[in-house]
Amino acid sequence: MHIAEGFLPAPHALGWTLAAAPFVVHGARCVVKEVREHPESTLLLGAAGAFTFVLSAIKLPSVTGSSSHPTGTGLGAVLFRPPVMALLGTIVLLFQALLLAHGGLTTLGANAFSMAVVGPWVGYGAYRLVTRLGGGLLPAVFAAMALSDLATYVTTALQLALAFPDAESGFPGAAAKFLGVFAVTQVPLAIGEGLLGVLLFRVLTVNARPELVRLGVLRPDPERAEP
Amino acid sequence: MTGLAVDDAAWASAWRLRSPADKLLLSVGLVLCALLLPVWPGSLLVGLTAVVLALGPARVPARTFGRAVRVPLAFIALGALTTVVEVGSGGLGWAPDAAARAGGLVGHAVAGSAAVLLLATTTPMSDLLPALARLRVPAAVIEVASVTYRMLFVLLTSLSTIREAQTARMGHAGLRASYRSSGMLAAAVLTRSWDRARRLQDGLAGRGMETGLRVLPEALPSSSRFVAGTVAGLAALAAVSVLA
Repeated sequence: MHIAEGFLPAPHALGWTLAAAPFVVHGARCVVKEVREHPESTLLLGAAGAFTFVLSAIKLPSVTGSSSHPTGTGLGAVLFRPPVMALLGTIVLLFQALLLAHGGLTTLGANAFSMAVVGPWVGYGAYRLVTRLGGGLLPAVFAAMALSDLATYVTTALQLALAFPDAESGFPGAAAKFLGVFAVTQVPLAIGEGLLGVLLFRVLTVNARPELVRLGVLRPDPERAEP
Repeated sequence: MTGLAVDDAAWASAWRLRSPADKLLLSVGLVLCALLLPVWPGSLLVGLTAVVLALGPARVPARTFGRAVRVPLAFIALGALTTVVEVGSGGLGWAPDAAARAGGLVGHAVAGSAAVLLLATTTPMSDLLPALARLRVPAAVIEVASVTYRMLFVLLTSLSTIREAQTARMGHAGLRASYRSSGMLAAAVLTRSWDRARRLQDGLAGRGMETGLRVLPEALPSSSRFVAGTVAGLAALAAVSVLA
């Protein structure tokens, strides 16, 4: 759910761009530093960006009958950390605007704030919290992906409510309207995305253990000799 | 082929060899006009200009353009409708100026989307990304974005091939099977993307890559006539909308 081009009034578009900018610039600094120290990460980061884009082409069957696509930012936050996701998410949003007509240029800042900043940080926070409470990898991944999706949608709804407050009930009324309208598709989707994350990590822990260890998601297993 | 229709149109467009900076000036100018000028007649003029330029001189297939413009329409319609429904003490009702507000929102959004599409359907990402260097985007970021662009088509092809194989084996019959298959599909595409990045890295290291991916830039010279026309056109559009 991206805000379409031209939908936000100019002051809001500018404001959200300024709000997202520090996070994206910080992410860009992290990427520049990473690439300077390990030139080979350019390709891995590019692959991560391409994967995030392609993930949105996976159609998830939804309980309500409609099918929606996952946002994948929670997954990216768990695998690559939120600062990097702030940049990769913004690149992916730019690509979605220019290759799929999904989103826009003046609304890129608002969309980046909800999808590349709030989503990843909430997802990563949930992931760390659940692992610290001893919940294990799969529940943590479920929480990360479901909550990052939910947080993204709540942020988008609040952005729209701020831009278009209700004539009579003001911002709270508008927030209730937008949250209610989007909840129909987004709540089942968030649960679906969480399930997808669990299924995905079940496969990854078997097939791609060394990669997960290298990314710091799994601890090196002392019983298994890592290559 | 699992190419993206907008990207295919960009490569085939008659404006493909125009300077990306020129096209960026035109599209961003139109986007700003759509955003800032009054909806009547500003948005209408912006929308018309974008469509006429895309289908006329840029020779973008009308089918592709029409389909792409339809993508944001669901969001625009739903968003505009939600905005003009009012939550009052007596339940839901229409806002006093519902039709005008909804019309204004839809006008701005459709005109803006058409202006972005004019850029999207005439300029491939690989031309646009180097142009970002002028906006002081770091080279490392542009390289990551370029790798993303070049790799996403391979991954999209993998995605559709794996999905086809899963469907042929009844992998998407029923909700449970479909979720299981989607999980495996995402995992397969992710591990393939890592594998591909590693193999690309090995190949480039063998060729002595030390200072990033150097790609010979294509010379796409700026046309002063195009720039002059853009500036004059945008100024006329703004003047007509403000004075009308």
